[in-house]
Amino acid sequence: MIPVALGISIVAFVTMYAAGDPISLIRAGKPNVDQTTLNALRAYYGLDQPVPIQYLNWLTNILQLNFGKSLYGGQPVIYIIGPKIWPTIELQVVSLLIAFAISIPIAVNSARKPYSKQDVIVTSFSLFGVSMPTFWFGLILIIVFSFTLGWLPSAGAVGAAGFLWWGNPILDQIAHLILPVAVLVYVSLAQNIRLIRANMLEILRSDYILAARASGISERKVVYGYALRNAITPALTFLAIALGGMIAGAPMTEYVFSWPGLGRQYVQSTLNLDFPTIMGITMIITVMMLIANLIMDILYVYIDPRVRIR
Amino acid sequence: MAETLLKIEGLKTYFFTEAGIVKAVDNVSFDVRKGESLGLVGESGSGKTVTALSVLRIVPKPGKIVEGKIEFKGEDLLEKNETEMQAMRGREIAIIFQDPSSSLNPIFNVETQLRDVLLAHEKISKEECRKKIIDLMNLVGIPEAEIRMREFPHQFSGGMKQRVAIARALALQPTLLFADEPTTSLDVTIQAQVLDLLEELKKKLGMSLVMITHDMGIIAKMTTRVVVMYAGNVCEIAKTEDLYEHPRHPYTALLLAAVPRLDRKKKLRIIPGNIPNLIEPPSGCRFHPRCEYATGKCAEEPPVLEEVEPEHFVACYEWKNISLKGENH
Repeated sequence: MIPVALGISIVAFVTMYAAGDPISLIRAGKPNVDQTTLNALRAYYGLDQPVPIQYLNWLTNILQLNFGKSLYGGQPVIYIIGPKIWPTIELQVVSLLIAFAISIPIAVNSARKPYSKQDVIVTSFSLFGVSMPTFWFGLILIIVFSFTLGWLPSAGAVGAAGFLWWGNPILDQIAHLILPVAVLVYVSLAQNIRLIRANMLEILRSDYILAARASGISERKVVYGYALRNAITPALTFLAIALGGMIAGAPMTEYVFSWPGLGRQYVQSTLNLDFPTIMGITMIITVMMLIANLIMDILYVYIDPRVRIR
Repeated sequence: MAETLLKIEGLKTYFFTEAGIVKAVDNVSFDVRKGESLGLVGESGSGKTVTALSVLRIVPKPGKIVEGKIEFKGEDLLEKNETEMQAMRGREIAIIFQDPSSSLNPIFNVETQLRDVLLAHEKISKEECRKKIIDLMNLVGIPEAEIRMREFPHQFSGGMKQRVAIARALALQPTLLFADEPTTSLDVTIQAQVLDLLEELKKKLGMSLVMITHDMGIIAKMTTRVVVMYAGNVCEIAKTEDLYEHPRHPYTALLLAAVPRLDRKKKLRIIPGNIPNLIEPPSGCRFHPRCEYATGKCAEEPPVLEEVEPEHFVACYEWKNISLKGENH
């Protein structure tokens, strides 16, 4: 895990420097700033040193959990990122759980009656979900449910200035979650359904399912106990990968819904070329991904005995 | 003559595929008597397995039982509802499949798989259940049952896996056991062990055994009566000795001639051609395109089984006119 994290940090660091010079961005706003000031600023932030040296400096700092200061406003990065971690995790976990809760029964039913009307409708509906851009779907939802119907908030994670949706702090949270979660769930639904359905189809045809039926085990137990348990294992692997996609894909969703999470901050910091913040978020996401993968690997051992090392 | 346990009459099981209707089992009739060992023999794709699955009513989609009667202990199984059928499966009629590594669920340990079968039919305490599982594993000759019951299928060898599968089938002491090529995927030495075990258990538990196989050697060793199937039809039913001594159906004779023998110099015969396409099977007798004795009549109408001597049935127009060689000629 540590080599992976190191590798990612190097790649991120180098590509970030290829993106441009944050100091010269100052000129875009204040054309009159003279060259000496800019040079002094570069030296202050250590940006005049060679990239490998800068990387080593950054690495020494990060190992002491010092994320540095933002180039944009001068705040310590940890204060910028810190409060944004929870909203992102909240959004991701809620979407993930709902996506799986919805896709499992749908996929199982589709697999039991392949190519039936229900199966075709579900498959095409979910295919539509995976094909369309997140920001577009998010905007449509905002236009329909916030502006036109006025049912749900269009931005943020909590009600602004003392105004609570549905008059209760908890309901207010839920109201804010609905639209962004809807987008994230719909987008991942297709992949989940297709994957579990394909696995279920194959497993329902296998000998041990026939054998289980032949021993008089109830249909419910055969489908949910025997088949689904086997079908879910490859889906878990996929889930670990999908998690990366979701975290990486969430910036657009968070941006559209002004969700105060890491993703939105990521987009803003990238536009500002705020190097320390970009690196800070990259590292947090990397660690979150690696932990998610580790959890999947551990879960695997519980679900599939064949991966246990004897 | 022993009592009839299972009576299949005019069974038709078709598979409704996109390419057309596959008549996998077409008008099959035979019976299984109490306590006997019946062989069900034929090439791959002759409908042996589908017949067994039809009796259990677990024919996989798009297969469907279209017509017929399956009488078990005097009751028509095709008239039972799903719940009643579920209670029959495993308890009255059980089946062992060909490949034990695919017929056991890879993610549950042996104890769980046997317990699921027991608990599907009986309300018993955890302790009783555990005791039954250990007894079962001892019965099928798995040593160190207490330890091995906690292991998973992939930790067992092929022969041991088949023993587990046998234990699962026998968990509730069924009266009828289908063994669908139970030794095909095993080593030769293990094959003999498993066959001996089946024979011993059959005697011990007094059940009827239907041995599904294409191996004439297993038929000779294990059975007292044989049903020969070809392309979804029954072509001959006889006592095993009679069948080996004087087969009446040309197909049976060819099957016997296709068994390799080390003890005599005889050219091994192959049956020319392939099993026909069952979407559009040959008209009349389905074997006629491959049969050297076929006449015009054979292509017109399918022959029906007739009793040519006591306990010996054959579906062939020409049986009187031809003399076929048995095993020892």
